Amino acid sequence: MESSRDDFVIAIRSAFIKTGATQRFSLIGLIFFSIILIILGNFNLKFIEYVRSGTQEIIYRASYVVSGPENFLKNINLATKKHFNFYNDYQKNKLELENLRSENLLNKFVIEENLRLMSVINDYLIVSDEVVAKVLIDKQSVFLRSVIVNKGSKDNIKLGMIVLEGDYLVGKIIEVNFLTSRVLLLSDLNSKIPVSIEPKGIQSILSGTGNVDGIIQYLQEKHKTKPGSTVYTSGSGGLFKAGIPIGIVEDMELNNESVVSFFSDFSQLRFVKIASYSEAKFDISGKAKEIERIKAEALKAQKLAHELSIDKKKNLKAKIEAEKLMLVKDEEIKNLKKEIQTIADKKKQKNQIAIKNEHFIILEKKYSRKCKKNFFFPKLYKVGTPEYKECILNKGIK
Amino acid sequence: MTNTYSTGIYKRISSNLPIILLFFSVLNEFDFNFLNTEYFSFNFAYILIFYYNLKKKDGLGYGAIFIAGIVNDVVVGTPIGLSSLFYLLICGAAAYLRNITLRPNLFKDWIFFLITLLVINSSSYMLLILFFEFEVDYFYILTNTFFTFFLYYFFSYLFNFLETKIIGRIND
Repeated sequence: MESSRDDFVIAIRSAFIKTGATQRFSLIGLIFFSIILIILGNFNLKFIEYVRSGTQEIIYRASYVVSGPENFLKNINLATKKHFNFYNDYQKNKLELENLRSENLLNKFVIEENLRLMSVINDYLIVSDEVVAKVLIDKQSVFLRSVIVNKGSKDNIKLGMIVLEGDYLVGKIIEVNFLTSRVLLLSDLNSKIPVSIEPKGIQSILSGTGNVDGIIQYLQEKHKTKPGSTVYTSGSGGLFKAGIPIGIVEDMELNNESVVSFFSDFSQLRFVKIASYSEAKFDISGKAKEIERIKAEALKAQKLAHELSIDKKKNLKAKIEAEKLMLVKDEEIKNLKKEIQTIADKKKQKNQIAIKNEHFIILEKKYSRKCKKNFFFPKLYKVGTPEYKECILNKGIK
Repeated sequence: MTNTYSTGIYKRISSNLPIILLFFSVLNEFDFNFLNTEYFSFNFAYILIFYYNLKKKDGLGYGAIFIAGIVNDVVVGTPIGLSSLFYLLICGAAAYLRNITLRPNLFKDWIFFLITLLVINSSSYMLLILFFEFEVDYFYILTNTFFTFFLYYFFSYLFNFLETKIIGRIND
């Protein structure tokens, strides 16, 4: 028992500590050095950053040169596959072209409509800087799905910039050196991107699977995606511009999560576009001012229209009141006329009575003895009675 | 004269063939990924390091293995020093096996290689998940381990053939 433990210790000591004739370094020393390197790598010291960046530049270039034979084999393999699939691809492309042609007109119309509506709602425009880069290394390791491109901080590449192949999203920049950069592909397990699934516009997160496809994560039961739905960037969080096409939801599910097939084939990347987008508040010279002016004028016109409508209301009210007054005045005038007429009639009557009375007084002096009742003429009329008056006016009894 | 010169170059290349192969594999991430076969991948560097440390310890120096590890970390994108550490641990395991073995047997080496692989890959998985917050596909690592283990047998014969018939070195 004792001797077997001794053997184990001797074997371990011999394996890890002894350098031997041909080995210049002891194993344990190098193991410690590796651990120190790992620990130092976690500190963001400038010196370490420079050393790391320089090492990476050299190794990337060397790797590109060494990858030559494998790339050659890869290209032969691809060319053979393409050759055998040529006819099928041609038929497929022909059909697709016909469909695309018919869709193209509709798309143009929609784009125009979108642009018009964007300008109407005063939405932001996107200004972008694009750099075309060549893929140097596309080694898909067990740990990281990434590619190395031949553009770095020298070409203003910055961390977080997005990487496109044609119009399709491929990934984002996660490491920048002076002449090279590393792109984390969408298929990597560490890649999480906010997406919008059309046509329903469902918002979700697209995650890589570590293979060739992605999955839609954190999707509620009620928002189930349909196979064939297109996945775009949603622009949430401000990392990506909204509306960059990514892929299509497949007919299959992985642990109740929808599988997304990417538009780009990440194993075939040759040239990519590295872009950055920034939001610009509709600042094309004069346009914003023009819109402000139009807005101000529209506001003014609205105010005037409002005032006018108030005036109109007032006028109408006044008119109605005037008409009402007119009606009242007419009535009053009529009444007044009536009253005047009555007064005039009364006056006339009074005048007539006065004339009559005057005439009566004159006639009474003359004909009083012919009508006045007295001792000698008892059959005549008593003074003051209507018969007496009539008798006087008739100039005596007829 | 020319004959002597070309023989010298041949000898130099053949004696450094393991180092050339190691650097070629780490710079190129030699795993036939261009075949696009899902889940098929193996770690050629692990096989090479284990074999040469077990059978021909003069073929590969620890310093070269350490640098190859750093190169691999840069190419793959893992924290620098991690691959070096695991490569050197494989070296340690192989050296230990060499020290305790009296009668070499390929099958026993193969099983020991499996244990080493499982320990190394589990450690790398745990380190990446716990300390570096990487998300790693467990199934992918498992298949990688399986194919690396499986192909050791084949590569062992191939290296043996190379060493004895072409380079002319005898096993330690």
